[in-house]
Amino acid sequence: MVFNSYTFVLFFILLLVLHNLPFSWKIKKINLLLASYLFYALWNPPFILLLWLSTVVDFYMARLIAVTEDKTRRRMWLAVSLVLNLGMLSYFKYGGFLLENFTALMASMGIAFQAVKPDIILPVGISFYTFVTLSYTIDVYRRKFAPEPSFLNFALFVTYFPHLVAGPIVRPEDLIPQFKEPRKATSYQMLWGLFLLSLGLFMKVVIADGWMAEPADFIFSLPFPVNPLDAWSAVLAFSAQIFCDFAGYSTCAIGVSLCLGFTLPENFRFPYAAIGFSDFWRRWHITLSTWLRDYLYIPLGGNRLGGFRTYINLMITMLLGGLWHGASWNFVIWGGLHGLFLCIERLFRNLPKKQKNPSLAEDMVIQATLIPIRSKNMSNLFLALFTLFLVNITWVFFRSPDFGSAMRMLLCMFGVITQGPKMLATPDMLKVAIVTVALFCTHWYMRDKSVKAVFGNFPWWLLGTIWSIMLILIILTQKSTSSFIYFQF
Amino acid sequence: METADYKKAGWLALALVLLFVAGWEIYWRNQGFALSFNDDESLWAHTRKKIYNVAPGQPVIIGSSRVKFDIDQETWKKETGHQPVQLALVGTSPRPVLRDLANDPKFKGTLLVGVTEGLFFAADGSFMEERAAKRLAFYPRWSLSQQVSFHLNQVLESNLLFLDEERFSLNALLKRLPIESRPGVFVFPNFPLKMGYMKADRQEVFSDAFVADTAVQHGVQYVWRYLGMLGNKRGFSGDTLTNMMSSVKASVDKIRARGGTVIFLRMPSSNPAWAAEQQSYPRELYWDRLLKETGAPGIHFTDYPELSKYVCPDWSHLSPADTKPFTKDLIRIIEQKNHVTLRKTSATTKIQ
Repeated sequence: MVFNSYTFVLFFILLLVLHNLPFSWKIKKINLLLASYLFYALWNPPFILLLWLSTVVDFYMARLIAVTEDKTRRRMWLAVSLVLNLGMLSYFKYGGFLLENFTALMASMGIAFQAVKPDIILPVGISFYTFVTLSYTIDVYRRKFAPEPSFLNFALFVTYFPHLVAGPIVRPEDLIPQFKEPRKATSYQMLWGLFLLSLGLFMKVVIADGWMAEPADFIFSLPFPVNPLDAWSAVLAFSAQIFCDFAGYSTCAIGVSLCLGFTLPENFRFPYAAIGFSDFWRRWHITLSTWLRDYLYIPLGGNRLGGFRTYINLMITMLLGGLWHGASWNFVIWGGLHGLFLCIERLFRNLPKKQKNPSLAEDMVIQATLIPIRSKNMSNLFLALFTLFLVNITWVFFRSPDFGSAMRMLLCMFGVITQGPKMLATPDMLKVAIVTVALFCTHWYMRDKSVKAVFGNFPWWLLGTIWSIMLILIILTQKSTSSFIYFQF
Repeated sequence: METADYKKAGWLALALVLLFVAGWEIYWRNQGFALSFNDDESLWAHTRKKIYNVAPGQPVIIGSSRVKFDIDQETWKKETGHQPVQLALVGTSPRPVLRDLANDPKFKGTLLVGVTEGLFFAADGSFMEERAAKRLAFYPRWSLSQQVSFHLNQVLESNLLFLDEERFSLNALLKRLPIESRPGVFVFPNFPLKMGYMKADRQEVFSDAFVADTAVQHGVQYVWRYLGMLGNKRGFSGDTLTNMMSSVKASVDKIRARGGTVIFLRMPSSNPAWAAEQQSYPRELYWDRLLKETGAPGIHFTDYPELSKYVCPDWSHLSPADTKPFTKDLIRIIEQKNHVTLRKTSATTKIQ
């Protein structure tokens, strides 16, 4: 079930009614759990078995880990959890990819190896719930979190529908404590939750699906080079599409959860105004980047083993982060580029700093400006734009169907291939330009602010009007059932 | 902001949305538009599911817009007691759908295949072929959630006119803004808003405004001209055509081997469109060869005075008043010429 569907509207209304009826807290949690299974099963019912398997095994492994003192046995129980979860993920997500690459490797060595292409369907959200359950067993192993005695609380933590299929990737401490005490949304939470749900749907339905998907999908699907302006438009369209799609999903999830009285962690913080790549990853898919930091980068040694190892660890983390997004070398390259930019940024930051003296030219520029712009703001703005430029380059690999297409797109963008035809109509290009500028300006303005603080300061009539405009545009756009991009990961 | 202010904002938003929706709906109704259903993937998938429950003689129709407009399902039902299953897709080649039905061992019924040569003989991987292939790819992935959404959506679409995505969605309306496009870019032209509508059973119908107003008809004719329907460029020949014929024959053979029936239909076109089609797709090179190579029967409108007496107002599709007698005659001809019983009371016999 997707948030942008009539099925969800009906499901959510019924669930809200159930959750607000005078049942015991345990019954309400059972309702939530069953609703979450229904939410998941309406895609592909058999895959619910995988979810159950992961839930049951991790619940009992964590208990065994907690009560066992012997180090080797503790490691063994942890290994059972890791092998099961990563094994399922590897089979369903990377089975075909591994086989394909093995066949290619054999062929390169002159060995004719033919295997039947496996017909594996990727269970929706497997990458997300695998990381959720892994964080639990690893935290219990590290004695950071005591194992949850209630199976109901644990199952709900894993399966709770707002985060189940596309995050935010929750940690045990984010959610399990919230299930221990009866919860019901306050009037404020309910209203704010509904506002966030509207905002998320606006981003997804109107901007991502309604305006940006068409130009991006069209140009990226062409098997031939296009005009540089069209290539740039497609990349910028995808840049806006993927942000609005994924941040839209997270915003919906947070809003829906709030309506039920539960808080989910923030997942996006205006990433397109990031100054540098480390800042970008503090703002983009925050729950994934912190997960990778805590469960991969730091265990690898982080920055504690010297400069060279830090760079290696960064690269390993980002390469695997890229691979997490999908079984394709393009995702690995995307992750690799992010890792490379993070390393370069780190290298610059670690250079011995010189005493700063504002140059004469810089002073003149500032004095000539009518608007009082501080030099730091100006340089930050340029750095943010430069970061966004590089982020867009990386999106080419993320979106292109294969390496050849990505390279062709880059050659078009940078004017190496100029003979490609013009493909996008002017209205489409205008939409991309308007959304790109609006998105960057919004992110820049909101860089150090929160949605809550900004909208909270509006007078009620302004908030109500903005809210109604978003809802009207959602109704008018009418694209109601398309899936979220991150579901495929 | 206080909680009370959020409440006020919520109520204001709700009031404005309801006011807008009511006003928007009333506005389009006052403009004289009729309710139209969206011909989306879910409606197609819902219709596709029906092929397993067809009675003997109840046909499944595939093809493009001509069979969707020209075969009047109500008349067909009145005449035969069965409503056909309308699977034709506007602006697409039916070859992928034919292949799909041929590969479905559970399909053993009567299949009517509309042949508009420019679409039927479109190249593999062309836009017309890909569009049909997308519907086919969606069908097995049509989730339970999407099915529930579809049924809820049908209730809304049955009552709210503005939910017509093709005409009144934000994107559709933005596409009608008078913004000149860059030279050299192909922009798909807009059909007149008042051209027609689609019923829940996927029956396409020209609107009364279209029938009455020649300006609207000219608007549609302009689109056909823009899309090259009046061009006389010869269609595929040689190996490409031979491969297409072989692939169609293979599909037809599979269906017939299971006891099914395939009948090709060439629906009427008029004036410059018909003249151009004769130039681009001479009958003996395409239609006759198709029937000969597949061994399947076919009905070409020019072979029957009762089918060729009509003038298509847009050169390509029959007017609603003409579709009724046309459908009656078509049923009679199919039964007489092909020895197929389409009426409810009798059992279907195989084509000889």
